[in-house]
Amino acid sequence: MNQKFDLLSTIEYGGCSSKLPAGLLSEVLKELPVAVDPNLLVDVDTHDDAGVYRINEETALIFTTDFFPPICSDPFEFGEIAAANALSDVYAMGGTPLLALNLMMFSQEKIPMHVFGEILKGGNEKVREASALIVGGHTIDDHPPKYGLAVVGTVHPDKLITNAGARPGDRLILTKSIGTGALVSGQKNGLSKPEHYRMALHQMKRLNLNAAQAAGKFGVKGMTDITGFGLAGHALKMADASQVSFRIHTGQVPLLPGSFDVFEKGSIPGATFRNLEFTGKEVHFTRSVGYNLKMLVHDAQTSGGLLMAVNPDHADQLVREINLTDPDSGAVIIGEVLPRSPRILYFE
Amino acid sequence: MKIIDTNGFKCPQPLIMLKEGLQEMEKGENVTIYTDNESSLKNLVTYLRDQGVEPEVSSNEKVHAIVTRRPEANLIDTDPAAYCETGIVVNNYVVCIKSELMGEGDPELGKVLMETFMDNLKLQEQLPTHVVLYNSGVKLAMKQSSVCSSLSELEELGTRVMLCGSCIDHYGLQYDIGVGMISDMVVITETMAIAGHVIYP
Repeated sequence: MNQKFDLLSTIEYGGCSSKLPAGLLSEVLKELPVAVDPNLLVDVDTHDDAGVYRINEETALIFTTDFFPPICSDPFEFGEIAAANALSDVYAMGGTPLLALNLMMFSQEKIPMHVFGEILKGGNEKVREASALIVGGHTIDDHPPKYGLAVVGTVHPDKLITNAGARPGDRLILTKSIGTGALVSGQKNGLSKPEHYRMALHQMKRLNLNAAQAAGKFGVKGMTDITGFGLAGHALKMADASQVSFRIHTGQVPLLPGSFDVFEKGSIPGATFRNLEFTGKEVHFTRSVGYNLKMLVHDAQTSGGLLMAVNPDHADQLVREINLTDPDSGAVIIGEVLPRSPRILYFE
Repeated sequence: MKIIDTNGFKCPQPLIMLKEGLQEMEKGENVTIYTDNESSLKNLVTYLRDQGVEPEVSSNEKVHAIVTRRPEANLIDTDPAAYCETGIVVNNYVVCIKSELMGEGDPELGKVLMETFMDNLKLQEQLPTHVVLYNSGVKLAMKQSSVCSSLSELEELGTRVMLCGSCIDHYGLQYDIGVGMISDMVVITETMAIAGHVIYP
C-alpha cells in the first residue's frame, strides 16, 4: 500500500484560481497578431472556450487545453477534476471530445511517483467516460505539480455553439452550483465542513456531457462554461461577445451548500478579488445583493457548469431535460438576456 | 438585565431570538436587544409594540440598542417571519418617471423641476430600489441629458435604473443611452407590482 500524499500541501492557489487576471491577459494578447482564415470559425477574438476550425462541410475541429495545480488532496480525484475541466471546453462549444493528450508537470524529487500514476489514472477515467481517447502526453519536471489535457473534439459546423450566440429575450440557464473556489479555500483553512467539501469535489468531477447534449437538442446558440473567471467573469465575456446585456437574479443562482458560510467567515480567495476587479464597472448590483453573494458570483470555479442562453419558450423544458438525464444536475434558470445596455451585467 | 445580541443576524433570526428570549424571562424583567441591521431594528420595535410594551432605542454608528421589559401579559404568539415582510414593504419604493418633464404646464419649468427632483432624490436617506423611465421619460437617461449624471450617481449607490426598451426604440435612441438597464414591460410591471410604494413625481 502506497503512502497517502496530500496534494493540497504543495500549493497556495489550486485549480482555476491559478489563472492569470483576465484584464492582464487581454492586455498581452491584443499585442499578438490574430490568425485569419475563412475556415477559422471561432478565434481568440471573442475569448471563447476553444478554437474551432472547419475541415469540411460536415466537420469542424474544436481544439482546447486546460491545466492547473492541485485542487484537492487525492491524486486520483485531482486527475478526474482536471480532465473533466479540460473536456468541458469542447462541450461548451456543442462538440464531442475525440482525442486527448496528457499535460503534466511533476517533480519526482518532491512527490512519490505513485502519485503521478494516480493522477493519470484519474484523468484517464474521465476521458474514458467522455468516450474519447488518450493518445499521448508530455511531462516536465516542475513543482508544484500541474495536470490537465489538450483536447481535440468535433462538431458539425451548423451545430457549433459559441459564446457569441445569446439573443435578447433568451433565458439563461446555469447547470452546476457555484462555490467550488470558496469550499476549496475553506478546506485549506479548516472552514469547510467535510460533507460540503465532498459535494464540491463530486460536482467538479462531473462531465458537462449530458447538459451539452440537451443544449444541442434544444437549439441553444449561445453557451460557455464557468471556470476561473467566475460566473460574473464568464457571463460578462459571453454577453460582450454576443453584444447584449445579461440580467441575473442573484437569488436564483444555485450555491454549493456551505460556500456562503465560508465567505461569511471571511475566507475569500484572492482570485475572487481579481475577478471582481476584472468585471468592474461593467457590472451593476442592486442594493439588495449582499457582499457575500457579490463575492460568490466572482468565485473562481473549477470544472464549473455550463451557462446557456435559450429561447424563452424552451427554457423550462430544457431545464427539465438536463435534470432528467443527469440526476446529479441542478440546472436552473438564473436570468435573461437584454438588449445591450450601458452595462453588461445586471445582478438583481 | 437580560441581553439579547442579534448582531450579524438577518430577519427573521433576530425576531426568533427575541421571542425565545422573552419566553425565558420573568414578566416585567428588563431586557436590552442589540442589532446592527436597520430593517431588523424596525421589525423588532414593531414586534415589541405589538406585545404591548414601548421600547426605547439608542443608536451609535453601527449598533442599535433597544431597551424595554418583558410584557406583564402573556406573550401574543405570532410568526416572527411575518414581521420581516412588513420590513420589506416599509423600506422599498420605486420612482416612475413617465415623462421627461415634471408636472404639466410650462415645459421650461418642467425641465428645471425634474433636475431639482433628481438632485434631491439621490440625497434621500432611503433611496429608491428602482427608478423606472418610460415614454419620453427615457430621454432623461441619454448621455446628453442634464439628469444623466444624477441617475448614474443613483445607480452607483445601488439603485437599479430601468429603461423601457420599446420606448427607446420608438424615439430612436438606441445609440445615445448613458445610464440604465434596458427592460421590457414584463419586468417593469413586475417591479411596480412588488414595490412597497411607487412615486410618480
